[in-house]
Amino acid sequence: MALLLRTFARQGVCISRPHCSVLYRHAAPMGTTAKEEMNKFWSKNAKLNRPMSPHITIYKWSIPMMMSITHRGTGVGLSGAISAFALAALVLPGNYPDYLDMIHSLSMGPYLIGLAKFGIAFPVSYHTLNGIRHLWWDLGKGFRIPEVYRTGYTVIGLSIIASIALASL
Amino acid sequence: MAAIVRLSSVCRRGVNPLFYQSTLLARPLVVPHKCQEQPHLLTARIHASQALYASSGSKAASLHWTAERVLSILLLSMGPIAYFNPSPVVDYSLAAALTLHGHWGIGQVLTDYVHGDTKVKMANAGLFLLSTITFAGLCYFNYNDVGICKAIALLWSK
Repeated sequence: MALLLRTFARQGVCISRPHCSVLYRHAAPMGTTAKEEMNKFWSKNAKLNRPMSPHITIYKWSIPMMMSITHRGTGVGLSGAISAFALAALVLPGNYPDYLDMIHSLSMGPYLIGLAKFGIAFPVSYHTLNGIRHLWWDLGKGFRIPEVYRTGYTVIGLSIIASIALASL
Repeated sequence: MAAIVRLSSVCRRGVNPLFYQSTLLARPLVVPHKCQEQPHLLTARIHASQALYASSGSKAASLHWTAERVLSILLLSMGPIAYFNPSPVVDYSLAAALTLHGHWGIGQVLTDYVHGDTKVKMANAGLFLLSTITFAGLCYFNYNDVGICKAIALLWSK
């Protein structure tokens, strides 16, 4: 509904114009909710043991697609890392500074430490910056394809720069 | 939805002129002349749970969406606050915001990929358990150990 109103506003169409009444004249509300319809779809196809149509295996990958799944991947990864940390805090004996000293005593060398810091900083920066891009979309802005690519490249570039900067702190 | 609007500006040829005047949810389609059996306009079936079915619709999903965005913005602001003003208050707020943001995020992933009533219920129960343990662990860490802000500072100083 909000999308409908937003698009009308963008096109400068006001509801009182005659052809807008076509909105509901030939629309018949269904008796089921979207959720029920989706469940019906999945249960029917699962019961008939139908295979899923190829989609990600055949469709040409694009930058926006890759950025989207990376946003999800970094989100799941970061969430998993936080959960693992919390679980470790509950289960493992001793305290945090001791564990840090233990890791530091392995004397990995500055490059490996820098790499590890980059490995932590990059998912955080990418997910944060792409998250801001998502919020920008939620405001309804930046949906034109060139804008999608422009903001996308900006997020990727800034993420790399921020991660390098953080890793060298 | 926005993509449909943009499509009309991109495709100059071969687009049904009716398309330009079309609304988005209920597009009336004009049946070509050769189909003599159904000369009337086809009806688009729409889901009317939000606007038209005022009694049976609930705003829960929409409110959840908004809450997710508000939490995201809150979490964004906590970054600089944690950096410049670390404190136990910030530690516990960060624990809560991170856990909830992660809980809702993974919830969306499950909604996308898990289908079937029992599987959805099991997955969500598992997620709830995981998030509870995560929050408990983070609070325990804040109370009995150095706390989130200090932990990150120590980690980075090595």
